[in-house]
Amino acid sequence: MANATTRPLGQRLILPALILAAVVGLLWLIVAATQANLERLGVDPGIDFLFRRAGFEIGQKLIPYSANSTVLAAFAVALVNTMVLGFAAIAGASLIGVLIGAARLSRNWLLARLGAVYVETFRNVPALLQVFFWYYVVLSSLPLARDSYQWFGLAYLNNRGLFVPAPEGAVSGLLLALLAGFIGAFALGRALKHRREATGRGWPAWPFVLAVGIGVPALVAWMLGDALRWEVPRLGRFGYHGGFVLMPEFLALAVGLSAYHAAYVAEIVRSGFNAVDRGQREAAQALGLSGAATFRLVLLPQAMRAIVPPLTTVYLNLFKGTSLAAAIAYPEVVSVMVGTVNNLVGQPVVIMGLTLLVYVTFSLAIAAGMNWYNRRLAVRGS
Amino acid sequence: MVLSVLAVLLAAPGAGADTLEEVRARGFLRCGVIEGSPGFSTVDESGERVGFDIDHCKTISAAVFGRISIRYVPITPHTVFTLLASGGLDIFPGGATWTFTRDASLGLDFTGVYLYAGQGFVVRADSGVARVEDLDGATICIAQGTTLEQNLADWFDARGLEYVALTFADVDKGLQAYRSRRCDAFTNEQISTAGRIHNWPDRNDHLILDQVISKEPMAALVRQGDARWRDIALWSFNARVAAEELGVNQANVERMRATSQDAEVRRLLGVEGSFGAALGLSDDWAYQVIRLVGNYADLWQRHFAPLGLPRGLNATWKDGGLHSALPFR
Repeated sequence: MANATTRPLGQRLILPALILAAVVGLLWLIVAATQANLERLGVDPGIDFLFRRAGFEIGQKLIPYSANSTVLAAFAVALVNTMVLGFAAIAGASLIGVLIGAARLSRNWLLARLGAVYVETFRNVPALLQVFFWYYVVLSSLPLARDSYQWFGLAYLNNRGLFVPAPEGAVSGLLLALLAGFIGAFALGRALKHRREATGRGWPAWPFVLAVGIGVPALVAWMLGDALRWEVPRLGRFGYHGGFVLMPEFLALAVGLSAYHAAYVAEIVRSGFNAVDRGQREAAQALGLSGAATFRLVLLPQAMRAIVPPLTTVYLNLFKGTSLAAAIAYPEVVSVMVGTVNNLVGQPVVIMGLTLLVYVTFSLAIAAGMNWYNRRLAVRGS
Repeated sequence: MVLSVLAVLLAAPGAGADTLEEVRARGFLRCGVIEGSPGFSTVDESGERVGFDIDHCKTISAAVFGRISIRYVPITPHTVFTLLASGGLDIFPGGATWTFTRDASLGLDFTGVYLYAGQGFVVRADSGVARVEDLDGATICIAQGTTLEQNLADWFDARGLEYVALTFADVDKGLQAYRSRRCDAFTNEQISTAGRIHNWPDRNDHLILDQVISKEPMAALVRQGDARWRDIALWSFNARVAAEELGVNQANVERMRATSQDAEVRRLLGVEGSFGAALGLSDDWAYQVIRLVGNYADLWQRHFAPLGLPRGLNATWKDGGLHSALPFR
């Protein structure tokens, strides 16, 4: 390799320059050819269509939308659906994955075997098949509307989905209260922890955290009184309506994607803990730390450093995997844009571009968040 | 989808050239078909492709070659417009509703209505739904890739009725969801729905509402900018209706060609005049179409009559329908 570094700069730049020129040339060719072809075919390459009336319905609307809204609004509805599914599945996959990973690490033979069977089963079947499987399981195992499972006349589960009461009226007030409760609980938890670390005295933080997290929203809800009503699902001619509905498609996807990606999370968790040297545990025990303290203060922080980088990859894969939803009628971005909108306006290049942009943006955001977390975990001073 | 986008990006340099010459030089027609749609496009027991759409492919092939020489290209509603516009297909004969937006902005041309269809509904017979209005508040399964979604929204919106849409990427998944009672109704083009549910063991538990909420005039699509190729498609389809009006069918075409004294029949079958040269075809091209494929009534008898579908709007104007042949003179 010494030769390479002693060659004159000009020579060393020849190959990279050629590659760069080839890439730029190819991109230019593609852009030019696309423009020329679209022009020849009379396809309008603009994005005006985003501001036209959409004219189609969407099955799950978490933000206000009707067929009379714009295509842009439909795009936003689909975007929210993608986000909700993505984050629900990330939470589910993390939870199941950690449990299965812990099971595989367990010294209990049966538990470890069960963990291994889970991983090998779910990791080796294509995600799309699992989604279909769960969809048909969900659809065929849930009862018809008139035989719904019900809880206290408030929540109903049938093959049209899970129907729960929805807040009406001062919804934004309730959302703000939830947010305030969350932030308050978080801040209180940190303050109590600092105090205990500084003084060595104090109480366990969790009862206070829980009290603030639940108490604040509950108090606000009570104070809002009549301004906040709850719409309870009612049985109509075609099953239940009103309230908030979780579609069976959503349930199937959340379960399917969680179960599939949990297998990868489990392996990452296992490898993370295996990466911590055995001496660390022994040293902690020699210092007289309890089992729980050993885990929390010695093993977990070190394992997390090995876990977070590959976990980022799983999260990114999972988020992109939400596009499988298009196969079972969950209205996310690919289904709405590449499916419905493209068929209405016939501008595949622009629409594919927009859809790609969504995934790139979210993937970069997830990666940035995970990298930030990873830096926080890094060994201080190294 | 990615492939089809690439296809647009790197569209064949020959696109816009003479399709007829290309097809001739290649020796076969590339015809886009949607698979698995009973009545329109399926595979029979002997493994042959059959159906109304397949016969459209054969019609064009018969007119161009005087024989059946086709490469069927399976497509989905998502890919077909892009694939056709970029030169991956010569013609797409199946299932495209002729609308203003499509005609004006897709870079494609329609070649004459060959089927008058409409958007209809199938519901469970015991649901008590007799009219589309009764579906207020219902969950309705629907497939993408067509004008159906907009029709449905417009129709309900105009009457102040509500529904929950469950939008599937393909027709069969939507129908399956309806069958497993995920939806109260399934909506699609009425004739194709009749074809798809024809073989269900519980067919009698389902009801296809008479009412349609849209006009779906179906027409074949070709690339825009090749006037002669468009004329060939239009007149090949028209020849089948003309033959029916003139009493020429697949069974009697040889006899009619030999003995008919009717001037228009003689022109149609290439006995008199020169009605092929202007299109770049042989003079007996329409005779080949009727000989190899049949007239419109032959197609209907073969594909839709077994499904129990009446001709309705698809009869010729003489029988109270909408099909009216353009004259051969």
